[in-house]
Amino acid sequence: MEKTEWFQKAVQTILDTDEDAAKEIAAKSLEAGMDPLEMINQGFTEGIRKMGDLFERGEVFLPGLIVASEAMTAAVEILEAALPAEKQQEKKGVIVLGTVEGDIHDIGKGIIATMLRVHGYEVHDIGRDVPIEKFIEKAKAVNADVIGSSAMMTTTQIGQRKLEQALKNAGMRDKVITMVGGAVATDHWAQRIGSDFFGESPKDTIMKLEEFLK
Amino acid sequence: MGKIMTRMGSGFPVEMSESQLMEDLSAGTEDAADRGKIPPLSKEELKYLFDLFTSTDRFLSVETGKEIVLSYDAAPLKLMRTAVDVHRIQSLQIYEKLLGADTLELGHVDYSFKPVKPIVSTEQTVLEQSLLVTHPPLFYGAMPNLGLYSQPDGPFPNPSELMPLGKIAAARDAYEKAVEDAVKDIVYVSSAMYESGADGINMDTTGAAGDADFLAALRATEILKQKYPDVCIEVGMAGEFILGLHGELDYNGNRLAGMYVHDQVKMAEKAGVTIFGPVVNMKSTRSCPWNLSRAITFTKACCEVASIPIHVNMGMGVGGVPLTNHPPVDITSRASKAMVEICRLDGL
Amino acid sequence: MGDPLGMAISHAIASGMGGMRTAGDLVARMQMTRGMKIDDAKSYVADKLDVSVSDLTDPVIMTEVREDLEIGSLTPLPGCAKGIEAKLRLSEVLGIDINCIRRLKDKGLF
Repeated sequence: MEKTEWFQKAVQTILDTDEDAAKEIAAKSLEAGMDPLEMINQGFTEGIRKMGDLFERGEVFLPGLIVASEAMTAAVEILEAALPAEKQQEKKGVIVLGTVEGDIHDIGKGIIATMLRVHGYEVHDIGRDVPIEKFIEKAKAVNADVIGSSAMMTTTQIGQRKLEQALKNAGMRDKVITMVGGAVATDHWAQRIGSDFFGESPKDTIMKLEEFLK
Repeated sequence: MGKIMTRMGSGFPVEMSESQLMEDLSAGTEDAADRGKIPPLSKEELKYLFDLFTSTDRFLSVETGKEIVLSYDAAPLKLMRTAVDVHRIQSLQIYEKLLGADTLELGHVDYSFKPVKPIVSTEQTVLEQSLLVTHPPLFYGAMPNLGLYSQPDGPFPNPSELMPLGKIAAARDAYEKAVEDAVKDIVYVSSAMYESGADGINMDTTGAAGDADFLAALRATEILKQKYPDVCIEVGMAGEFILGLHGELDYNGNRLAGMYVHDQVKMAEKAGVTIFGPVVNMKSTRSCPWNLSRAITFTKACCEVASIPIHVNMGMGVGGVPLTNHPPVDITSRASKAMVEICRLDGL
Repeated sequence: MGDPLGMAISHAIASGMGGMRTAGDLVARMQMTRGMKIDDAKSYVADKLDVSVSDLTDPVIMTEVREDLEIGSLTPLPGCAKGIEAKLRLSEVLGIDINCIRRLKDKGLF
């Protein structure tokens, strides 16, 4: 079987949300001498990216996305075990994610957390209605590379600005990337408050984050 | 022609060339057509939008005779947000006498059915007093807001926490239980308001918490129409498609998840909704021409299949109006004119 | 959000019927009580008020019509019907049931 066929089969197992098939393809690709890293990046990761696109179009639903992410995790575990220690993929980054204090909306933030996890990030979802101090405490505790804050309302959005200031006051602002999201956030809002970027959707967030972490 | 001044979806000004403008208009309608599996706008309609955006007039309006009904959701809350200190009844009077409102809506600051339930009697009194002094039809409005039924704000486990743990069955069960409670609350509050004399009930931002949220509104509508056949029910949506957070909920055999506005309205009609309010959200990173072309494509498809009046949502960040607290009138007026004239709307 | 000039007023001038300045509220009532689409609702109201459809959005003509019929006006004169009384007259003029008026009638008040 050609390389591209292996990749396509891997993609299809994710689109089919079929964990058993994903594990089988992962194992068989190794037997066939495929490079595990290529299978991860061009096969299973591509599959989950496509699932994310379909979710954003309303063609795939959250439970399907979750099952697909589990299938991908299972397949990647098999492939990673076959990698030499020095090639084993490290986490792309450590992210602390939460909805600012006063805001109880957590649906979008939860979806972003799931998508970031399956794209190789270590995500610490600290929930909703989160005081600023807790963002900072958690970021320190896990040595975060990225802090993401969500706010759904103009009345709570100010919390994202306060977070930026609090990070400066704590001497941490230059050590982390900050990203903002939520229904009322925009590129301009991110610039205005000094955040590194605005993530409009899961796909947009992952794309921009990868640029920042290059 | 030189550069055309228009705006981004965030409201910020941006310059475009003629070709860029037409590219964005085409891309916007194609995006909607592709997602919704609906026809894109015709060349004539795109040319109409092109002329709108190349016009240097600050303010545009519909042709005489094409005026539509303006219904305002949550009017008292909007004055409250400007820190103008007026009572809610005075707010309604300001909307009817000073702002050209064709309908009025009373709402509580929490704007959700659940928190209104324990204070419904005081809300009824305000509604009854409002009815004594106002003239246009008066809605009572609130959101189904299914999020309020999950822990820590409500009795049921939080699906947003269960789902990432892979506990899909438990998450779905929590959504289903939340629907049952939400329906009871919507019916309870709406019944009280109707029996106090409200002309209509507005279920606003429906679907914000996904397919279960929409299902709650549809089921509540069914019950209310059985109890009060004459009640007017308006259902306003939260987005162009129903987020599939449960994923398997159906209404009369139709899966709700992933439904776009032209299918949503058919569900609303089946449930007995009187007026439907489709929503198409703005992408702040795309231009207003792209957004308006896209929003009109979705809305037109909805209007074409609807047999009930359509009042499209055109507030902050929806329906072609930029995502900013203070939308510029150049864009609001263009969006208003184009949406009404292309879609043949019944109201906003 | 909360910017009447950016939204409510802009929409009212760009595409709205005009509310109580004209006959927008009456057309809205026909959509709400009979589920009429905009053109049917306008025709129905025009017929009941004995005016043309184009008159429905003319504030000069509609002010006189509203004052004559006592169905509520923007700048009401002393003694003319206002609020609930205006709605009682309106329900008769349009031949529709208005919820709050029916409830008062059920109490035997008039």
